[in-house]
Amino acid sequence: MSGQRAYVASVGMTPIGDHWGKSILDLAVDASRGALAGLGGKKVDQVIVGNMFSAVGASQEHLGALVTSALGLRGTPAFKVEAACASGGSAFNTGYRLVKSGAIGSALVVGVEKMRDLEPEEASRALAMAESAEYTQFVGATFAALNGLLARLYMEQENVTRDELSAMPVLDHANAVTAAHAQFRKAITPEVVSRSALISDPLRLFDCAPVGDGAAAALIVNDDALAGAKGGHVEILGGKIATTEFSVYEREDMLDFLATKEAFKGAMAEAGLAPGKLSLAEVHDAFSVVGALSLEAMGYSKRGQGSKDAKAGKYSMDGELPINTFGGLKARGHPVGATGMYQIAEAFLQLAGKAGKNQVEGAQYAATQNIGGVDSTSAVHVFGRAS
Amino acid sequence: MAIQYWRIRDRYYRLIGSRCGACGSEFFPPVYRCKKCGSEDIADREMPRTGKILTHTLLHEPLPGFEALAPFYLAVVKLDNGAKVLTQIVDSPPDAVKSGAKVRAVVRRAKVDGDSGQIFYGYKFVVE
Ligand SMILES: [Zn+2]
Repeated sequence: MSGQRAYVASVGMTPIGDHWGKSILDLAVDASRGALAGLGGKKVDQVIVGNMFSAVGASQEHLGALVTSALGLRGTPAFKVEAACASGGSAFNTGYRLVKSGAIGSALVVGVEKMRDLEPEEASRALAMAESAEYTQFVGATFAALNGLLARLYMEQENVTRDELSAMPVLDHANAVTAAHAQFRKAITPEVVSRSALISDPLRLFDCAPVGDGAAAALIVNDDALAGAKGGHVEILGGKIATTEFSVYEREDMLDFLATKEAFKGAMAEAGLAPGKLSLAEVHDAFSVVGALSLEAMGYSKRGQGSKDAKAGKYSMDGELPINTFGGLKARGHPVGATGMYQIAEAFLQLAGKAGKNQVEGAQYAATQNIGGVDSTSAVHVFGRAS
Repeated sequence: MAIQYWRIRDRYYRLIGSRCGACGSEFFPPVYRCKKCGSEDIADREMPRTGKILTHTLLHEPLPGFEALAPFYLAVVKLDNGAKVLTQIVDSPPDAVKSGAKVRAVVRRAKVDGDSGQIFYGYKFVVE
């Protein structure tokens, strides 16, 4: 690909959880300051905010100018990118493309979501807006319901057991124990999952990512802007967004995550990497079944084997391909519009050797996969340790 | 209710979806372009009112406005023409709601608007 090389120079993030004392802007500013610290005082060319439902969650739109104004970045172009739960990854892709193409030298991308000011059922309604108003919301279906339908199909068609399905949340919680920014830092057993409350049968509470507030940011730079930065950068080797048939029930094969398949293939091709080269992956497991189907779409598990492989340890920290190294969506948390940026910040920490107790030793290449809807949108990025 | 119900009420009452003029494939919800052959020769078509459950779930925590029904069954129903519908399953014994079960469309009260109290009707399915 023509154009210039693009790097993540620095990242910033807030812990995920109940930030009762902080507004959506407070969170965005906290994360942005952390990322801007890597710019060494230089001016950033573009600000992009990834967010899904600030209008519903915080009565706030126009996040681009709101953030630049708060950061004292007068004159800087800014806007919001929305693609449901893939808002963060999509915002990052926009910044990456602008830098990579040579149009700009640097971009601050911040993903933010304020969910906890809403009552739980109102948060559920806001999330459901990622689906068809006329044919999904109208029948009362939540996001958990769509994934409950998917989980039943997965278990029945592919002979997946309850304990196999539980392997992904168990893995997430194990990895989050030592992750400072994670929402739930407590290990769990498969029994905790299988005995938790039914949300949308067969999915239970511990199959589902929690609701939380948070913001994560990254500073994307070209070689010139990197010159003033403070070391420890990571190269962005590839990135692709793909979309597919909007509602999962309309698809010929509901278990085939075509958007992730295409986005992963495209991002890896741009990076020039064979699938076996990845040291780790941050996977969008908003629901246990979604994590399994994502790994199958990325080609790491055969059809029907995603949960079984997770149970066998293939995706654990000491496995063939460690995933969700800070707890994934289930335990690190899932502040929807920010989630894709948390994944990217985590990939950065791994490749910069700054992951502390969660460090994957010798990590060379990492991928992040961020889904909107039930894989209606998928944004995948591939990163490499700076040489 | 953010959407204008009257605009699509026929679709909710009579299951009006789409038929492709080029290859004959039928779809619900309606489409702008045939998913099989890509043709844009699309016309309204009333769907068959019978089909089979492809997958189902019992939803315990529904969207606001549906609390009175909870828990209730949702299913993806594959209609006899191949179109797939996301729908509630009602008036059926729990052990009858299973994958492969034959179902039939009925019209029921779908939703009561929280602000206006207006009642909306639409399709649901029962196990035969
Ligand atoms: Zn056709």
